[in-house]
Amino acid sequence: MPSTVRHAAGGMAVPIGSVVFAFLVGGVIVAATGGDPLSAYAGLLCGGFGLACANGENTALQLSTTIVFFIPLIMTGVAVALPFRAGLFNIGAEGQLLAGSVACTVIGVKFNTLPAPILLPMVLVGGALAGALWAGIAGVLKATIGAHEVVTTIMLNYVAQWLVRFLIVGGPLQLPHGFSVSSPIGAGARLPTFLPNDNSLIIFGLPAGVYRVHTGLLIALAALAVFAFLLWRTSLGYEIRAVGQSQRAARYAGINVPRTIIVTMLIAGAFSGLAGAIQIAGVDHNLSDKFFNDTTGFDAIAVALLGLGSAVGILLASILFGALHAGGSVMQADAGISSSLVQVLQALILFSIAANFLRVLGGRFRRRPAAPASQAPGAALMTEAAKAPPGDGQT
Amino acid sequence: MSTSARDSNAVEMRGITKAWPGVVANDHVDLSVRAGEIHALVGENGAGKSTLMNILYGLIHSDSGEIVINGKSARISGPRDAIGLGIGMVHQHFMLIPVFTVGENIMLGREPVAGPGFYDHSRARKEIEELTRKYGLRLDPDARTGDLPVGLQQRAEIVKVLYRGANILVLDEPTGVLTPQETKELFVVLKGLVKEGKTIIFISHKLREVLEISDRITVMRRGKVVGHLITRETDEQAIATMMVGRAVLLRVDKKPATPGPVTFKVENLTATSDRGVPALRGISFELRQGEILGIAGVEGNGQSELVEVLAGTRRATGGRVLLGDQDVTAASAREEREAGVGHIPEDRRGVGLVLHFSVAENLFFGRERSPAFAWHEIVLRLRAILQWANRLIKEFDIRTPSIETQASALSGGNQQKIIVAREMGSRPKVLLAAQPTRGVDVGSIEFIHRRLVAERDEGTAVLLVSAELEEVTSLSDRIAVMYEGRIVSIEPSGTSEERLGLLMTGGGTGAGAA
Amino acid sequence: MTFLSDIAHLLITADLWRATLEAAALLLLPALGGVISERSGVVNIAMEGMMLTGAFFAVVADLALHNPWLAALVGIAAGGFMALIHAVVSIRFRADQIVSGIAINIFAAGMTLFLVNRIYGLQDIGHVGQSNLLPYVNIPILDQIPFVGRVLFQQNVVVYAALILLVLVNIVLFRTRLGLRIRAVGEHPQAADTAGINVYAIRYGAVITSGLLSGLAGAFLAIGISNTFVPNMTDGRGYIALAAMIFGKWRPFGAFIACLIFGFGQAIYDANSVIHVSQYLLSMLPYVLTLIVLAGIVGRSIPPASDGIPYSPGTE
Repeated sequence: MPSTVRHAAGGMAVPIGSVVFAFLVGGVIVAATGGDPLSAYAGLLCGGFGLACANGENTALQLSTTIVFFIPLIMTGVAVALPFRAGLFNIGAEGQLLAGSVACTVIGVKFNTLPAPILLPMVLVGGALAGALWAGIAGVLKATIGAHEVVTTIMLNYVAQWLVRFLIVGGPLQLPHGFSVSSPIGAGARLPTFLPNDNSLIIFGLPAGVYRVHTGLLIALAALAVFAFLLWRTSLGYEIRAVGQSQRAARYAGINVPRTIIVTMLIAGAFSGLAGAIQIAGVDHNLSDKFFNDTTGFDAIAVALLGLGSAVGILLASILFGALHAGGSVMQADAGISSSLVQVLQALILFSIAANFLRVLGGRFRRRPAAPASQAPGAALMTEAAKAPPGDGQT
Repeated sequence: MSTSARDSNAVEMRGITKAWPGVVANDHVDLSVRAGEIHALVGENGAGKSTLMNILYGLIHSDSGEIVINGKSARISGPRDAIGLGIGMVHQHFMLIPVFTVGENIMLGREPVAGPGFYDHSRARKEIEELTRKYGLRLDPDARTGDLPVGLQQRAEIVKVLYRGANILVLDEPTGVLTPQETKELFVVLKGLVKEGKTIIFISHKLREVLEISDRITVMRRGKVVGHLITRETDEQAIATMMVGRAVLLRVDKKPATPGPVTFKVENLTATSDRGVPALRGISFELRQGEILGIAGVEGNGQSELVEVLAGTRRATGGRVLLGDQDVTAASAREEREAGVGHIPEDRRGVGLVLHFSVAENLFFGRERSPAFAWHEIVLRLRAILQWANRLIKEFDIRTPSIETQASALSGGNQQKIIVAREMGSRPKVLLAAQPTRGVDVGSIEFIHRRLVAERDEGTAVLLVSAELEEVTSLSDRIAVMYEGRIVSIEPSGTSEERLGLLMTGGGTGAGAA
Repeated sequence: MTFLSDIAHLLITADLWRATLEAAALLLLPALGGVISERSGVVNIAMEGMMLTGAFFAVVADLALHNPWLAALVGIAAGGFMALIHAVVSIRFRADQIVSGIAINIFAAGMTLFLVNRIYGLQDIGHVGQSNLLPYVNIPILDQIPFVGRVLFQQNVVVYAALILLVLVNIVLFRTRLGLRIRAVGEHPQAADTAGINVYAIRYGAVITSGLLSGLAGAFLAIGISNTFVPNMTDGRGYIALAAMIFGKWRPFGAFIACLIFGFGQAIYDANSVIHVSQYLLSMLPYVLTLIVLAGIVGRSIPPASDGIPYSPGTE
């Protein structure tokens, strides 16, 4: 048991170190540009978790905002992490999320008179299917002719982004006389919030309607459980991991590698698409220009890497990034530091976790690092053939 | 070979030590190579030969030790230094760029230039022609390297090394990929080079070749030098004993086979290699229950492709394979396994195992959808998997700290036992065993040999493919010899190694090969 | 029928083709950078971020120095600096090059916005005066040729530079010793290393060059085509350049043809008042076309053999 604990702690060192590194460098950047890093980070802390607030922000409200932010991060994080296990890099979670949002909106608007028991499953399943389709394109191209999924998913992201603009700016989904907004989805297509949308009810000092934590949270947590179960307890998950470790070995074992790749991408896309649908059904209730600048699917890459591809890790990383997003605006208001610092921090976390600075700097600092010991975690999750240790394969 | 040999050492390596995490690849290794000789460096796979040569060439840095080149102490921190000292290396895996022309590959790093850095094609061509004429190595400098047969690619490697002005040539397992004919040509070239005053270090584990080509021999075993020999004063048996550390004649105790009915039938099977050239040119044989059919042959004569086709990981282009009455010619790997074909693949680490999976996970690799281990092909039966793993670990004496240990952490022998256990444990009708003991320790070799015979005795039809002739002769009840994609003869078990060797190189049948 | 005649009318206007070439040149610079970087074996999906950084610093420098040439140099250097980060992280630390590229893009977007905020307070950064923009230069005599003169010889100075660089990069890659070595390193770094070529030096050089070119493109965008910095103003152009590189099969002239096609789409987009196709659908075109190419419908596009694989010596 102690060894397990030590192992887990060792596993946590890299992500935690990366976050610390990012905050240190971020602090230097703030200080170098004449800001006060401490007040900036106090703003983030307040905005993210309602702690140490300078201007009396409501703790419950801040927490609720963080939760609303991290729900889609969990699901898209899974959508990136699952393909990682199969050796695939899904950069397309954003496009898949948009596809899901579009499908949810289309169905929710078109059938807006249907009652919730029928319409809600329809929009959610529709969103998941649309996301699966979007990712499936990349999966099929990869499995059949080897087109690199990184490139195809990047292209699909942009196609989706322009599709959204087309649809709601003068396109078929635009709200009549509106601008860059679609018609709202029907009441039956909306995910209920935990608290009644009743502003006469005062909870934690604010009207209940301002807390927007919705039942999508349960779906997201269920998605995490499904992800972990799929990966570790099912034949398919076993095959996905085998394909990710070594396609040659997988082929030897009789695993249908192309099919596994396609199925993996379909499932990943379904998670992302569901995230998009939940965002519409639970928060926005219509497609708007807000989605032009959505970065959830890109944040998901950081979430998956920081979470080391595990369910618990993804949950923790999602909470962190959700809090950062929620904290950005408070930081901007309270400390006068642009919320774009959050993006900078996120990039720094990515650099740090990808390069694994800690491991490389700790100990083996040579001009020519001899052994591929400093393998990046992302790479470790996705290496095709298991890397032979040095000296191996050499007589 | 002058009398003042002591003063004319081209290469002196003293006390070279190199440790990787967990293994000492070179342990105080001494090597001295005289100028103008062909010096063979022999040892089993994993003995540390390539590591030593990579240190000499600057690709790996030793932890300690000294290198003296032509009497002068040398510091070699990279290939560039080695090249500067006149050392050239022909690697086991060619250092050639397939999409470049032969000329570009040869010139790379020392390209002739015209004007402001332009690559000078005509001068490159002229220089290559001069070199190839001088050493009698015909080559077309404008051919696309990837299109050439292996023998010519190797020749390009040699010319590349000569172009860099190498006087000391290191050849790492140069014959492993060559046909016998190409090997013969290579030896002529090497003798010619020595006449021109070059020094050659020849790495090999093929003793006959070593005896034929070398002047002196250094033998390595498990990272250490265990002997220096003069070729004309030694013989195969003596070297082999040194290499392995004991008398090599591996006697396998076995009763005569009691073959049952034919259970596996291969008819006129054809297939192509990865490079699209015919690898199997009409293979036919029958395999009976309770017998071991050995396949002997120089590596690269279609044995790997044959096993892959039979195991379902390579498509046949023609012919038929019958398992009992069932036609399994086009069966997938999964279907073959379900039909009762077990397969111990030749590439243990890259194919047979998922190194980052646990021992338990590896023990049901390929059967993750079978009813025994999965509920309706969906949910894994963890308890059944656990029991299965514990049973096999005990039965096959797999030494592992726990069933959760990653396969990569185990020794080669124990890794191989995982595969053997998995493939035998599911009671196959036919067992394809490709190089089942390659690179494993002697104890594991004996264990695996005993299990193969036991499997035979229980009625399994075993197809054994091995590059070690001795393994084939000591285990097989019949021996099929493959040469250039065909079975040239099927011999009884007592056939002499001389006769098999002749067949393996295309002789002995009268018919020969086209 | 008015639609078709509108199109016909549009196609014979020199201005459409002039705009096509201009838009193509803007894409060509980062695409050439991508070709160089990936030919050396380092995947670069960070042209977007390098361009954006170049655009930002070019505007900052121009506003401070009132000199477009110095400003362009600052923009180029800024792009190069971002590339240096990518190089260090992915070559020295052998990080996953795609993760590093994504990080560069996020970093550039966040950092430029952050700096706008820190330096200029509000989000209005100010405009560069007409006289301080990278100039449009008419080539004497040639610019008088009907139609062709307008299309080819009344362009921004950067367009000419891009075309010269196109030829230069092509010559360097395929005719010179340096090019041979770059390609060798990208195909088979072990082979290059054993031939005595410094793999790391070549890769650093190639990646940084890609940043310099992307930085120039950013400067062109901000203080040539436009006259100010707007957050996220590159708007996916770096990714279109990536698409052009793949579309062009990792060859400079191939990439240029792709840039012309995409640039044509952009020009049509800008002339959208004349024809009535949704500009948003047009904007999808480069990405859809690239997907079609990747699907093998227009012939396979195969990257250099060792593209994206960090090199560690002594392993096989």
